[in-house]
Amino acid sequence: MDDEPIVRWYWIGDHLGYLGNLLADHAVIALLPVLFGLLLAVPLGLACARFPRLYQPLAAVFNIVYALPAVAVFMLLIPYTGLATQATVMIPLTFYALAVLLPTIVDGLRAVPDAVRQAATAMGYGPWHRLTAVELPSALPYLIAGLRVAAVSSISLASVGALVGRGGLGYLFMDGFQRTFPTPIVAGIVLIAALAVAVDLALVGARRLLAPWAVREKGAGR
Amino acid sequence: MIRFDGAGKRHPDGTIAVEGLDLDVPTGRITVLVGPSGCGKTTLLRMVNRMVEPTSGRVLLDGTDVAELEPAKLRRGIGYVIQQAGLFPHRKVIDNIATVPYLLGWDRKKARARAAELLELVGLAPETGKRYPFQLSGGQQQRVGVARALAADPPVLLMDEPFSAVDPVVRAGLQDELLRLQSELHKTVLFVTHDIEEAVRLGDQVVVLRGQGRIAQLADPHTLLTAPADDDVAAFLGRDRGLRGLGLRAASAVTVRPVDDGLRYGGWELALDDERRPIGWIDRDAVAAELHPAAGYRPDTDTLRTALDAAVLSPAGVAVALDADGRATGTASREAVLTALAAPGGATGGTDSETDGETDGATGGATGDEPDSTDRATGQTGGATGGR
Repeated sequence: MDDEPIVRWYWIGDHLGYLGNLLADHAVIALLPVLFGLLLAVPLGLACARFPRLYQPLAAVFNIVYALPAVAVFMLLIPYTGLATQATVMIPLTFYALAVLLPTIVDGLRAVPDAVRQAATAMGYGPWHRLTAVELPSALPYLIAGLRVAAVSSISLASVGALVGRGGLGYLFMDGFQRTFPTPIVAGIVLIAALAVAVDLALVGARRLLAPWAVREKGAGR
Repeated sequence: MIRFDGAGKRHPDGTIAVEGLDLDVPTGRITVLVGPSGCGKTTLLRMVNRMVEPTSGRVLLDGTDVAELEPAKLRRGIGYVIQQAGLFPHRKVIDNIATVPYLLGWDRKKARARAAELLELVGLAPETGKRYPFQLSGGQQQRVGVARALAADPPVLLMDEPFSAVDPVVRAGLQDELLRLQSELHKTVLFVTHDIEEAVRLGDQVVVLRGQGRIAQLADPHTLLTAPADDDVAAFLGRDRGLRGLGLRAASAVTVRPVDDGLRYGGWELALDDERRPIGWIDRDAVAAELHPAAGYRPDTDTLRTALDAAVLSPAGVAVALDADGRATGTASREAVLTALAAPGGATGGTDSETDGETDGATGGATGDEPDSTDRATGQTGGATGGR
């Protein structure tokens, strides 16, 4: 064991297909919850912007959810969703994503300049129409910033799902640990990091594409 | 016409923003509400498009109480321009301008064609339309703001300190632009500002407000400057109101001595080129022939203020009257300008003497050989306001 090298390349070569499957599984388990979180966070965020009194209680609830250890939530869910099902892992991850996304959307909506809001009202937008057609698009850079945090943390958290039998690349860590064989562990770390970087870059690209007017925030001018 | 009929606004905490105002804003004219901050002028403006609901009285738009109209519909028929422009950051300039047409359900092509027309109308290059608001200067953003307000051709335009956030030179340009647009479009404009200079320059009628939306004076700019209702209004108008009033009177009132009747004034002679364009004043007693700049004015388009300014700036004390091509048509001495100033310019006799008194004071400082620096400073403002 002492002379076990950090990486045995032949193992990686022999298991490329297996690693690919784990990576795909991991991406689905980690990123679908972010998508669900987004789909929930947008209407909730709009509701909070329209009825500001909603926000404080909602934010408190999601902060508490965010503070719960993932493993504990998995264990609680197993009796209802079963062992080694995607739902067991994805339900808590959805709430974690929501906890990150809701405040960024609400902050983004609040950061819309008053002049923009007033101009929209004065031109004949009703409150909901203004929120969806003017304020939400203006808040897009915030939303994407929130998505970047949510996606990366979800990719990292998803590996814990291996403890309940559904963790994508997280399974490599358990496997390597049980066999005192570090190669899968290293492969898992590298693949998770690569997935996180790829998703992050994709989101940066999406921002450039969807919000070209937001480059000013970095002082880049045109 | 917009009519404020005892319109008042009391906030829920009991503070009174506007006590209850009666005011007619005539169709096709610019009415300026001017007053210190907190006088209720913005509140009044927003009552018109129901962004503020009056707690007493009514606001009538062409005879209809605006409270009976659906807010979104009402607003789509009223242009609105605010200080920070309030352009939508995520939309290109062309789509910003087309906002109200889109809301009215025009198809995209028609709305954009209309927006392109407006871009040109406010003096912006067509390629500006493809940019995002953050890529424009403050002055350009305001022009887009004005274009956006005009997009659906609303008969009424509300403007809330639209030019306050840009520098003075740009502001003067935007004011000229608004006057030019108004001469073509004849909108019913309600304009709010804290800048009396701007109020006098733009308004067909100026409403000076004091606290809680009470009218201190309602008058045309000339009457306001020459006959302020009381000391408070006079103080608000500022010390040089007499001089500024000249900016409202046509320079054509000055009697011009034709070029053929001579170009000599004392020891000075005006030199012209072959085209009769002024080259400068020559001091005939000087050993070396040296040219001193000749200040001129256009009798047909400039104001008395510009004529006086030209006379003050000239070493000979003589303004040169120019035609559209910059050729001298004649000369006007300080005395000729002062004679024109003394003639009644539509004001009452009692206030005329007041105007003269202040004007004399202003020219008095410049009767020496060189106009001093304060006169130059006034001269520059005079030049800038010359367009009216």
